[in-house]
Amino acid sequence: MIAVRGFTYTYPAATAPSLQDIDLDVPAGQFLAVIGANGAGKSTLCYSLSGFVPDFYKGTVVGTIHVGERNLVQTPLADLAGEIGLVFANPFNQITGARFTVREELAFGLENLGIPREEMLPRIEEVLRLTGLEELAERSPYALSGGQQQRLAIASVMVMQPKLLVLDEPTSQLDPVGTREVFETLDALTKTGTTVVLAEHKLEWIAVHADRIILLDGGRIVHDGHPHDVLADPSLPTYGLAPTRYTQAARLAVTQGCVPADRPLPVTLDEAVKFFSP
Amino acid sequence: MANAFSLYAPRPSSLHRLHPLTMLAVVGFCLVAGLALPGPWGPYLVFLFVILPLAAWGQVLPNLLSSALKIALPFAISVFLIQGLFWTGGTPIAHLGPLSLKSEGLLFAAQSTGRILAVIGAFLLLSLTVRPDTLMIALDQRGAPKALTYIVLATIQIAPRFQAKANTILDAQRARGLETEGGVGRRVRALLPLVVPLVLGSIIDIEERAMSLEARAFSREGKKTSLLVLPDSAAQKAARAALLIGMAAAVAAGIWLRRAS
Repeated sequence: MIAVRGFTYTYPAATAPSLQDIDLDVPAGQFLAVIGANGAGKSTLCYSLSGFVPDFYKGTVVGTIHVGERNLVQTPLADLAGEIGLVFANPFNQITGARFTVREELAFGLENLGIPREEMLPRIEEVLRLTGLEELAERSPYALSGGQQQRLAIASVMVMQPKLLVLDEPTSQLDPVGTREVFETLDALTKTGTTVVLAEHKLEWIAVHADRIILLDGGRIVHDGHPHDVLADPSLPTYGLAPTRYTQAARLAVTQGCVPADRPLPVTLDEAVKFFSP
Repeated sequence: MANAFSLYAPRPSSLHRLHPLTMLAVVGFCLVAGLALPGPWGPYLVFLFVILPLAAWGQVLPNLLSSALKIALPFAISVFLIQGLFWTGGTPIAHLGPLSLKSEGLLFAAQSTGRILAVIGAFLLLSLTVRPDTLMIALDQRGAPKALTYIVLATIQIAPRFQAKANTILDAQRARGLETEGGVGRRVRALLPLVVPLVLGSIIDIEERAMSLEARAFSREGKKTSLLVLPDSAAQKAARAALLIGMAAAVAAGIWLRRAS
């Protein structure tokens, strides 16, 4: 699905590249999480995988990014709409402001793609159901909570049926309820076979939902593997990331001799329950 | 739909069910007739015998009257006082101390107020009975630039949020000790810490909004479709054509009457 080869990108007027020598293969339907400290290159990777780099941001590019058959480095952004979706951190900025109800907001992208109305209606109903927004369909998008607005932002992209959905810290402005709503929506999305790339700081949520994690540092991929392997790695703090609280508690328990040291460290709540069971 | 920048009042009236372009043509006719007819009383006739009955038909008469008065009354009072009392030359009809009311000034004030009333009434009638998004979609379908219709609609919805953001920044800066009350100098000095975060924050918002629109094919070339169906009919099309002819006739009549007098 995604094939990145020797990709290096430098923003205009920047003196150093934000991404360096990225090689990455993501099979169709995978839920890939991207983690790293602030400035590690997560957002730039998101913009690169969704075609905004270099078409929107310009700058200098070396290497290629293929999504399906398309080389994104050479494809105009307008040709990618509907094939690749991008969701940002701030849900407010993703509401078009040009439509007065949730249902009409969902139709915005389809209208621009020229999808006939009779095809639009079932698609919208399906996405409303998948994202749990059915009850809110006739409300103003501005009358929704932050979590609901972010679900609407995801739904607005989902309805265009992209093969790839890229999300750049979509829960950073949300409370725990809103965060749960977003991850439940992503779970529903991955069941439809869509490939998901998610840049995120909330490691405990990623540990439960992602199939794979890549860790970025200084614009390079420094770790790539199963969530358990990446998040339980003792080197995580050297990249400016705190392990999950379950891992931290388990390490403390092992250090104090409360739990045998040969048990695999937990990264999720379920693993922690097993770890601490006698 | 409640929105500080949208006056639309949903009602179960047949006027609300008209195609947005039909309502636009009605309002266009009111404006042209109100402004083209000579003499001071033409605009009042349009307001009283066209706009108000239409507002009653659309069940928005109280809304229209209340808003029209709020806007037109201050204008009317000031224009009557200034033109009536300070008209150069003219025929005095009453004396107020050293000042005198001139009939020509009052006539000019009546004409200006009538025109303002007709313009305000026409725009209020349109705003109260037509959903702004349906009007923009109708214009879009007739080839109006998409960017223009987007800006109109987004302004209606986003401007109140922009206002709320400005208030949040104001509160945050006050909490940090910024004094925003007092003399002109103090108020001017307080502007910088308010405007800078508002403008910078808005620039970042605009970039994200532009990217979000691009991700939803906003700038894609080619045929667009619409979820909203705007019912139209042969009768409405004929009515729009008749109103356009009516506008041309009103202009011609206005020119002829002015020449005749």
